[in-house]
Amino acid sequence: MVCMDNSEWMRNGDYSPTRFQAQADAINLICGAKTQSNPENTVGVLTMAGKGPRVLITPTNDLGKILQALHGLEVGGEMRMTSGVQVAQLALKHRQNKHQRQRIVLFAGSPVLADKAVLEGMGKKLKKNNVALDIVSFGEDDGEKVEKLEALLNAVNNGDNSHIVHIPGGERVLSDVLISSSIFTGDGEGGSGFAAAAAASAAAAAVGGGGGAYDFGVDPNLDPELALALRVSMEEERARQEAAMKRSAEDSTAKGQQAGESSSAPDVAMSDVGLVDTTDKSKDMMIDDDTALLQQAIAMSMAQAAQAAAAAGGGPATTDTSMEESGGDDQDLAYALQMSMQQAAAAASAAQGSADVNQVLGDQSFVSSVLSSLPGVDPNDPNVRDVLASLQTDEGKNDDQATKDKSK
Amino acid sequence: MGSCLHQHDCEEYECAGDWSLYKNIDITGVTALNETVEGSAKSVFKPWEQRSDLSTVLASNDDDAELIVFIPFTTDVKIKSICVVGGVDGHSPSKMRAFLNRDDIDFSQANDLTPVQEWELAENIRGELEYPTKYAKFQGVASLTLHFPSNFGADATHVHYIGLRGEATQMKRDAIANTVYEAMPNPSEHKYTKLFTCLI
Repeated sequence: MVCMDNSEWMRNGDYSPTRFQAQADAINLICGAKTQSNPENTVGVLTMAGKGPRVLITPTNDLGKILQALHGLEVGGEMRMTSGVQVAQLALKHRQNKHQRQRIVLFAGSPVLADKAVLEGMGKKLKKNNVALDIVSFGEDDGEKVEKLEALLNAVNNGDNSHIVHIPGGERVLSDVLISSSIFTGDGEGGSGFAAAAAASAAAAAVGGGGGAYDFGVDPNLDPELALALRVSMEEERARQEAAMKRSAEDSTAKGQQAGESSSAPDVAMSDVGLVDTTDKSKDMMIDDDTALLQQAIAMSMAQAAQAAAAAGGGPATTDTSMEESGGDDQDLAYALQMSMQQAAAAASAAQGSADVNQVLGDQSFVSSVLSSLPGVDPNDPNVRDVLASLQTDEGKNDDQATKDKSK
Repeated sequence: MGSCLHQHDCEEYECAGDWSLYKNIDITGVTALNETVEGSAKSVFKPWEQRSDLSTVLASNDDDAELIVFIPFTTDVKIKSICVVGGVDGHSPSKMRAFLNRDDIDFSQANDLTPVQEWELAENIRGELEYPTKYAKFQGVASLTLHFPSNFGADATHVHYIGLRGEATQMKRDAIANTVYEAMPNPSEHKYTKLFTCLI
């Protein structure tokens, strides 16, 4: 049960864009992480300020309803922490599934008015009823707040099931700090998968950012396939960006750089999706449908960007049918390579129309080095070689088509 | 030397057979509220012979003598009597209140509702005393909730053994007892501890 602070103190802008907005984003993230980590998890949200504590949504596992409930909230009033927590306890007590463990996530942004003794009493009552408490302390700090919240945590904590995170204001984004904190990871390994995807895209957008114990926020022991796939995608991305930067440095036009950067952000999102497909080797049938839809989506979005991109988008769709015969495992690999190359092709043609990036990816040695680092793929395997060969000839077809269109 | 409330000497007659309802307890579903160590409630259900073994303990949190123990059964049972071995030096519970077939008892509800039956307990270190139930009310029990509201003056309540005497009826109350349908595979629930070898 998430207790949200929507008091007047939330208008302040020391977290971008406002404290309230940062809090809402963080709550969205938490709800997403919890519902994803276990399909039986349910999350509810209540607000503490305004006229009084009000339950916005009772515990549910439907993320859409939660997001809808968070929409259109207003800031105002004073936070009533003790009654808010009591209402949360009541909401948890009347949950449908009694086997679920009870947990309250408290966002404490305004100063804490209650006494330390009152808070400790509240904490003991929570412990007695087996309710865990996570506290996110941000916003106002009047000196006593930290002490009071720590006392509350000590009263509730039973075998390290409760946590507290202090987030001072400044440049750091509330949600990013939360992702790497124990509130997300202390939940068990399930939460880290969602956090990894969020962390990967956050890290790509803010170069060199993203904290976490492991390289990509994913423990290689728990999910080696995902960790490996993330690493491969990062290498590909790095190589592509290097090539893009080289190209724009040569031409030295500001326009080229802008296009490269703007397309890198959606590319990361796309490559994340592509990776999900590669790691999911068991769902061959579904992948066909997914990637077909994705091809269409990519084609549509690229068509809005540039004319030349439309031709490139149409090209790979036809070459796709030739991929069907490539064989079991390699199919997924081929799709992933196809999609990442296609975006690269689109980005390249949107910027300058040169095929440098395609050459990088078409480069046999680079691709085979990438492939050899993947488990279960032997670059000397005849199937893989066929795929590579056909990819290269398709690239040739692509360029021919593009030039044909231009000459018309 | 211990003597039961029955008119015979325990060492000659096998009492253990009577107190075997602990086998019908769904031990994974046993929970307690206000326990210091999570999961310690499961340890107090053991064979009759081990009732004086004080190593297993269900302790309440310091400064708070209340305890609630929720006991689900695998089949419907009929409970004839209950034996509770408490701690020494006033750590023993002094009262016991029982609720049947409810899974939502917490401290506020326990104090509001009238229990099916209430007992005044005595300090019972050697497990000699048993508390009979109103048998007519304890037929068809799928889950038993015991609430110990007070003890004999110590800070915390310790319970070492809870024994139940009665019969199991082989009937299940719910059609499906406790199933979790997996909507999505969850890697943390599928850790393999052994290697499988197949012989063809």
